Amino acid sequence: MKRSLVGGFIVFMFLLAGISFAGAAPDKIVIGHPACLSGKFAKAGEQAVGGIKACVEWVNTTYGGVEIGGKKVPLDYKYYDCESKKEAVTSLIGRLVSVDKVNVVFAPYSSGLTLRGAPVTESRQMLYMDHGGASNEIFQQGFRYVVQTIGPATSYHEGTLDMIHKIAPDDKKVALAYEDSEFAKMVMLGAKEHAKKLGFEVVFERTYPKGVTDLTPLLSALKASKPDFVLGGGHFEDGQLFNRQMADLDINTNGLSLIAAATLPAFYKALTTMAEGVMGPSHWEYGVKYSAEEAKAAGLPWIGPSQEEFMALFKKHTSEDMLPDYHAAEAGAQVLAYVLGVQKANAIDSTKVRDALGSLKFMSFYGGWDVDDSGLQVGHTMVDVQWQDGKRVIVWPKAAQTGKVCYPMPTFQEKAKGVKAVPK
Amino acid sequence: MKQIPKYFPLIPVFAAYAIMFLVAENMEGMWQLMSMLLFYCALGQAFNVFMGMTGYVDFGYVAFLGVGTYGMALSITRLVQYEFLGAWIIVIGFGLAMVMSTLLSMAVGAVALRLRGAYFAIATIGVNEGFRFLIEGARIWNGSEGMIFTADLNKVLGRDTAAALCTYWADIMVLVIAALAAFVTLVYMRSKIGYALTALREDEDAAKVMGINVTKYKIIAFITSACFAGLLGATAWALKTPYVFPPEVFEIHYTIEAIIIVMLGGAGTLLGPVVGGLVYGISKYYLSIFLPGFQLLIFAPVILVIIVLFPEGIVGMMKAKTKGTGMARFIV
Repeated sequence: MKRSLVGGFIVFMFLLAGISFAGAAPDKIVIGHPACLSGKFAKAGEQAVGGIKACVEWVNTTYGGVEIGGKKVPLDYKYYDCESKKEAVTSLIGRLVSVDKVNVVFAPYSSGLTLRGAPVTESRQMLYMDHGGASNEIFQQGFRYVVQTIGPATSYHEGTLDMIHKIAPDDKKVALAYEDSEFAKMVMLGAKEHAKKLGFEVVFERTYPKGVTDLTPLLSALKASKPDFVLGGGHFEDGQLFNRQMADLDINTNGLSLIAAATLPAFYKALTTMAEGVMGPSHWEYGVKYSAEEAKAAGLPWIGPSQEEFMALFKKHTSEDMLPDYHAAEAGAQVLAYVLGVQKANAIDSTKVRDALGSLKFMSFYGGWDVDDSGLQVGHTMVDVQWQDGKRVIVWPKAAQTGKVCYPMPTFQEKAKGVKAVPK
Repeated sequence: MKQIPKYFPLIPVFAAYAIMFLVAENMEGMWQLMSMLLFYCALGQAFNVFMGMTGYVDFGYVAFLGVGTYGMALSITRLVQYEFLGAWIIVIGFGLAMVMSTLLSMAVGAVALRLRGAYFAIATIGVNEGFRFLIEGARIWNGSEGMIFTADLNKVLGRDTAAALCTYWADIMVLVIAALAAFVTLVYMRSKIGYALTALREDEDAAKVMGINVTKYKIIAFITSACFAGLLGATAWALKTPYVFPPEVFEIHYTIEAIIIVMLGGAGTLLGPVVGGLVYGISKYYLSIFLPGFQLLIFAPVILVIIVLFPEGIVGMMKAKTKGTGMARFIV
């Protein structure tokens, strides 16, 4: 009898120890990241690391840490350079999970590298957060632990179309001319579907090969379809060529939006007045007006640094002359999403945090955040930028805009005479 | 029994692979690192069959890995609807990868192998880019959109088996390919093919004068090497990463890596690609951990120094040092 009592006591103590261990808050929460610091995605990778470091510091200092089990826990950030290569992505994720015992893995840049790491994290039931893979197809593969912060490629032109639908309801004819690449095709697939939903008529659609040097035959055919506005592009070089040859052929439309090219300062530098009024979608731009007040107006909780705070922290962790772009912002916003996910789950277990992230909605300096059941980001709206008098102005959505849109944009003949795109 | 000593050189190669496997199996967190090292060893071993034995540098080598990846991807995505095939679509994928890489090597070889030295290298530079643009431009096999087939694998094999295939069995298959490539290399070395290839590597004209059909032997080595590359693409790129995007599978830097591995270890040696793959992979991995972002700055001059100090590669130098000793039987 006595022996069984002692045995029972020991079992009870073990259970109690187990319970208290399971419920105890960790000393720190570790984010692991196979970053692209060299190789073809080095630029985006450097930005992402800067953005993550900035937000980790904000969480640890200003926010006071992640609240879990009634205790504030600091974040730790562990990253290695994957050289933008798939073999390194998997080996480094293996190390991060097994050796460094990270609590969450942030995916590297690009859809391909994100996909490369997914089977490894899935097999270990590890939360895998995607801030650089825009392909919708990632979320059609049945992964359980992949959650996206970057907006999907199909949503790039949704804002542009919504804006034109609102400000110029009579403009119904849209032309699509874009690079034959996986990314541009995905973007335009989404644009086409959204255009149809809003009642637009796609009067022209054609692709051009990568590295194209002459777009005049395509643009001549586009001109004949008499569109009200044009959505196109793919990368910087072809976007620039697109704009230049539209000017050469004097193809005047009320609006022109080019993916990847028009948001870059080099675009205006190369084209000067020819670029006036040209628009482009972006995930985030410095100058957006997302704030605690905007969040309140939208009925969303707010978390994170203000844009200025983010900028200062980013510079602290990178270099003084480096400005954050959307790669930095989306990676930083991902830190904030993870923090809220852990707090909501009151746990660091990947399955519980994944569930919590599924029902999470908030706004940060990056904009809205909300994922669907598959992990696809549906709460983030792209911003649309327009060149006005040589400056990039955020014209859409309203919550982020820094100025009104100039629509219709001046004709190419007017632009050649020095007429600037000024909103009426 | 007399034949057995002929295969002694396989002992250090297979021992290295066995140690890598045991480390991966028994040490926490080492599996993915070992799989990366195995990939580099297999890449070097497959490339060595042609470059090491003939002295010809094929800059378009990655194209064979690319078409092998497509072979597996096509099998999975196009045959997924035939449920009765089950896991056989993987076997068919391997077959298709081999056939496609063989056909491409025959097409490329028929033209490029008539050239020598720099002319051959230049002729092969465009192969990967050309093939990529063919796929994108002609919009074959989904063109620039590529293929993602995790969901297809889940459908055919079930989620757990598909996950095990991507994270475990694909790596085992890479190990088998690496071992097989080593075995074939040794068989070639010890046969008429190997002697003919050595003769042509030393002096192609003299080999011709001696009555060796150099074109025939070059083609044999080229096709064999391409075949292994196709299998490697089907495994390390298609099964381990269930997607294929043209720019990623025709990236020239994999060819450069293969050249570095073979040169580092010792071109034309059996053990060289294993040593080269291990030195290259381990250095890169640990430099990326301790000096993220700066590893290439350090690594490039180190490679240069090694190649300048040991022009015959690490194993080439070891061979010279062990000549006439008992070790010479193992280091080939």
